[in-house]
Amino acid sequence: MRRVELCCVNCWRNVRMIKFVLMVNQQGQTRLSKYYEPVELSRRAALEAVAVRCCLSRSKHQCSFVEYKDFKLVYRQYAALYVVVGITHSENELSIYELIQNFVEVLDKYFSRVSELDIMFNLDSVHIILDEMIQNGHIVETNKSRILAPLTAIDKMADG
Amino acid sequence: MSDVVEKTLTALPSLLSLDSQPGSAKLSSNSKLGNLIRGITELTSKHEEEKLIQRELLLIKEQVSSPNTTMKQMKELMVRAIYCEMLGYGVSFSYIHAIKLAQQGNVLEKRVGYLAVSLFLNEGHELLLLLVNTVLKDLQSTNLIEVCMALTVVSQMFPKDMIPAILPLVEEKLNHPKEIIRRKAVLALYKFYLIAPNQVQHIHNKFRKALCDKDPGVMSASLHIYLQLIQENPEGYKDLAPSFVTILTQVVGGKLPMDFNYHSVPAPWLQIHLLRILSLLGKNDQSTSEIMYDILDESLRRAEMNHNITYAILYECVKCIYTIYPKSDLLEKAAKCIGNFVLSAKINLKYLGLKALTYVVQQDPKLALQHQMTIIECLDHPDLIIKRETLELLFRITNDQNVTVIVEKMLDFLRISKDDHTSMDLVGKVAELAEKYPYKCFSVCI
Repeated sequence: MRRVELCCVNCWRNVRMIKFVLMVNQQGQTRLSKYYEPVELSRRAALEAVAVRCCLSRSKHQCSFVEYKDFKLVYRQYAALYVVVGITHSENELSIYELIQNFVEVLDKYFSRVSELDIMFNLDSVHIILDEMIQNGHIVETNKSRILAPLTAIDKMADG
Repeated sequence: MSDVVEKTLTALPSLLSLDSQPGSAKLSSNSKLGNLIRGITELTSKHEEEKLIQRELLLIKEQVSSPNTTMKQMKELMVRAIYCEMLGYGVSFSYIHAIKLAQQGNVLEKRVGYLAVSLFLNEGHELLLLLVNTVLKDLQSTNLIEVCMALTVVSQMFPKDMIPAILPLVEEKLNHPKEIIRRKAVLALYKFYLIAPNQVQHIHNKFRKALCDKDPGVMSASLHIYLQLIQENPEGYKDLAPSFVTILTQVVGGKLPMDFNYHSVPAPWLQIHLLRILSLLGKNDQSTSEIMYDILDESLRRAEMNHNITYAILYECVKCIYTIYPKSDLLEKAAKCIGNFVLSAKINLKYLGLKALTYVVQQDPKLALQHQMTIIECLDHPDLIIKRETLELLFRITNDQNVTVIVEKMLDFLRISKDDHTSMDLVGKVAELAEKYPYKCFSVCI
């Protein structure tokens, strides 16, 4: 690897992945959480609280990437909801920033203009959609029709 | 009560009477999840929330163990369990029932069962073994939706020791007529490669077939495996460099179907993936790098739209140009690109520009010099993140003349930094610089 990256104290900088995806509202209530590496239940609440505090304390004029512990947070605000994605240092922040937008656009397509309530009451569907986009912390699908195809097929079968 | 919560509560009654449309908030008046959520929203303290959830957990526990619970009810119970665990309350008693739901439910119930399993369990969990038979059965189902689900779950978690049992079935799916099955089979094999690489040694030729698949989705999926393989052994895959260049050329040239576009940019994340692969292959290798120059030039040109995603691609492109064997006119264009980022008023771009500068500065110290006024401005930027990234950059260009100033700025930052990790990292850097330039740093550090 490049000397630049080896300069850093920890070698984790060479790993590139998404660590978690959170959807949290301004009150700090988690609406969705998905972890791509094992994180103990007891540690999650604290992590989510800090993540949302980090994002809430930033202004519109500051950048959407925050350093937190030994990784980074990429966040984006939609009305009262924050989508926060934890990434390792070597991940491309701006590409994740747009991935969040793509995710929200997919939700918009599925729910016809998604709201926080849609996410709350259809937690399973939102998870299924996210599963199609990100697996093992890597982006596996970004084509909107392909992301929605499995869920739409399931819905059709369920409606009979 | 806050505005947001009020809006939530007032919206609930109207939602309760909505016709069920595909995708819209499916709420029936007897939706237990709805009641639970409404209950939580009405509470004002953590203590009350705990009481409510504990009651809910008792209810769920009772109902999942009841022989009279239908799979339809079990599905709802699982979603409530997922919700409770999301709030931080353990629901380990329901794990086994999640597996049962995946085994016995109809299509939708099965999917929720698999979802619950993927959320509740982790890689080494003993209950995961119980899932294997269900997955094996679903992989052989005539219902393609069930095959997809099984492949998805396999890609998320699968016990390493059971891979031999499932591998032939997954391999077979690589030849399936439907692209979604082929694509998910490739991703499952990627997972197997990550957790047990020696188990998939014998099928590397099948990865090549996936790379050449006529469907771009299947080809994309194979790139995950190739990125991993190439990271471990770039020499072994130099012969594929022309293929990757061809694929990137086609993508950039708009040859993919329209639905692969994101805001008019063709498959941006795929482009980024390919650029990373090309970086690894072209590094320190003149002949391999030479075949890449044209498409890199084209990518720089095409990504001139004013959209974040094109900037993200440009960033990867620039990194690639600076990683592979150097070509002066490409380097010039890449340098100009970095300059535009650093000078941008858009703060996210400025950040990316600084990050890019940090990456290239050891190869091209003149570039940092060219932008030194902007870098100095960034040192005093109100956004701590920008400041921090600038210090990172300066650390790389420290020399006899500027070390005193740089260490001073780092110490200034340490006084205001509230993040332990950042502070530790900076202290390490100051120590390193003090060791390298002891006489210069002595006066600063007192």
